[in-house]
Amino acid sequence: MIVTSARTYIDLHVLHTVPPANLNRDDNGDPKEAFFGGVRRSRVSSQAWKRATRAFFAERNPDGDRATRTKKIAEQLTRRLAERASLDAETAARIATSALQPLNIKPGKKAGETAYLLFFGHAQLDAVIDLFLDDVAELCELGDEDLAARLKDLPVQETLNQGHPLDVGLFGRMVADIPALNVDAATQVAHALSTHAVELEMDYYTAVDDEGDSTGAGMIGTVGFNSATLYRYATVGLHQLETNLADPAAARDGIRLFTEAFARSMPTGKENSFAHHTHPTLVAVVIRRDQPVNLVSAFESPVASTSGIAAASARRLAEEHSRSVAQWGDTPLFTGVCHTLDPDSPEAGVVGKAFGDNHTFAELLDAMHTHLPAVQEVA
Amino acid sequence: MSPEPSSESSVLLLRLAGPMQSWGDRSSFNRRETRPEPTKSGLVGLLAAALGRPRGADLTDLAGLRCGVRVDQPGTVLRDYHTVSDFRGLPLLQAGVSAKGVQKPTSPAKPTHVTHRFYLQDAVFVAALAGDSELVGALADAVRRPAFPLALGRRSCTPTQPLALDVRPGGLEAVLASEPWHAARHARQAYRRRQGGAVPEVDLPATFDDEDGTDVVNDLPLSFNARDRRYSTRRVRHAWLTVPTGETAVGGAAAASSHDPFALLGW
Repeated sequence: MIVTSARTYIDLHVLHTVPPANLNRDDNGDPKEAFFGGVRRSRVSSQAWKRATRAFFAERNPDGDRATRTKKIAEQLTRRLAERASLDAETAARIATSALQPLNIKPGKKAGETAYLLFFGHAQLDAVIDLFLDDVAELCELGDEDLAARLKDLPVQETLNQGHPLDVGLFGRMVADIPALNVDAATQVAHALSTHAVELEMDYYTAVDDEGDSTGAGMIGTVGFNSATLYRYATVGLHQLETNLADPAAARDGIRLFTEAFARSMPTGKENSFAHHTHPTLVAVVIRRDQPVNLVSAFESPVASTSGIAAASARRLAEEHSRSVAQWGDTPLFTGVCHTLDPDSPEAGVVGKAFGDNHTFAELLDAMHTHLPAVQEVA
Repeated sequence: MSPEPSSESSVLLLRLAGPMQSWGDRSSFNRRETRPEPTKSGLVGLLAAALGRPRGADLTDLAGLRCGVRVDQPGTVLRDYHTVSDFRGLPLLQAGVSAKGVQKPTSPAKPTHVTHRFYLQDAVFVAALAGDSELVGALADAVRRPAFPLALGRRSCTPTQPLALDVRPGGLEAVLASEPWHAARHARQAYRRRQGGAVPEVDLPATFDDEDGTDVVNDLPLSFNARDRRYSTRRVRHAWLTVPTGETAVGGAAAASSHDPFALLGW
């Protein structure tokens, strides 16, 4: 896939304070860690948080398999088939329609439209065409009935049903044996790191046998945990998501869903032991034309733990953003922020200067979503 | 030592820094290792992503750049225990496909796959790529406005800014030796402590493409096509560069004790 249109990246910066917890553990059962700026940090792998994000998606969008977006699958398939097999439009339409027949998609009122919206990507359509491309010359010669019979048993449905389309467009898809179905992810998610130094703590526990009168513990052990204010970062290439989904409106909705899912989701590791269900302290959205910018360098010198780590981290993040825009990049097309800092605090002032007025999360999502068409138009 | 390339070439300087990096060369299957410094295939991959080249695109021009890598802050190795499973709770797919060309689920059902991934944590490198001025200029623009999000060897390893430092005329070695030290504050403090005060220069290890080099590495990419991933070898030379620290000397430097047991530990 070649991306030729203008590049637009949606950067998401999240500060998320997590109480004692063990979100993502290593093979010793302890929370994952990494060194940064010379000190030990709490770490949650990008894979763990992506999984939480996808699970959030699946929960909110259970019809993802069938749902949404274009009524013109036959038309789209015809166009791509005509291009790839150098057929005239009429022949291509005849073959494409026959190939889609086994799906039993209800026809719409207009010719070539389906009754409901289908969600798919370019790669999926190409994969359908791959199923019979080699035999196109032969297929052209067949009558309508023979054509339908020939195409009846092709795994068209399986091909179109591989994975959730939006999910695939955002997170990519790798099918080792069917490269035609591979999709390059539109998102990039960094490992979450604490903004401050973290030491691993151990909880020694004993469990008493409720039945019987035995003395002492029925079971003893230790659980590793830590608590941290995490800096989480992800970026979405809007241009790439549009290409993956073949639909600008779907891409806009996808960005909104991803932003919500990324901000609200939480890995479930040991959630019954620690109940670590918190909301982020700060979510900032920055839309850039030039390049994605990860602001983790704001925390290379660890935030000191003397007073309010979350507030101090928010200030550092805002300052780093202002500096990085001034020094290295273009002015962002859009910035928006939602935070829970004390509105009268100096930290809130610094954050406001860098990212703009404080919004509720719903307002932030709306503001970003309504801004996206303008961004796409400029592209 | 081979002669410096002709004066018409220019050099693109990249600062490769971020909490985590991973530069694999011969990893496969479930153990993904990292080299202690960026590989040429990793650098070429980063540039190809910046240009928006699809997988399988011709890489001759990028692989033809002469490259040098300086280790500003070596970092340490992080082993990441990683499991893979389908988030819907479905069994993982096996390698084989059915008659219909669809991957079959594992039988008996296998829900989780264990892999080990290795990263470099807290490392900083400066990479230099020398070549034709026009190409190098185009690459500098592309890195500032990349088509795909860039990564330090692996997708989740996002770089911190600035990534593209500068385009300079001149030879690879000279440009790399004149670029000031990019180490983080804690690494500078440790160095000053070892030196007994601020000093104007630091010796950093570097590796250069060199036809007469004494070492051979197998990381010259020929194709990133998923079905046809191919690499070749290149000859490299290892060297030490004396690089400005950006700090002025303090009188105490000479008085420092030569015995520092912690230096061996990199503290």
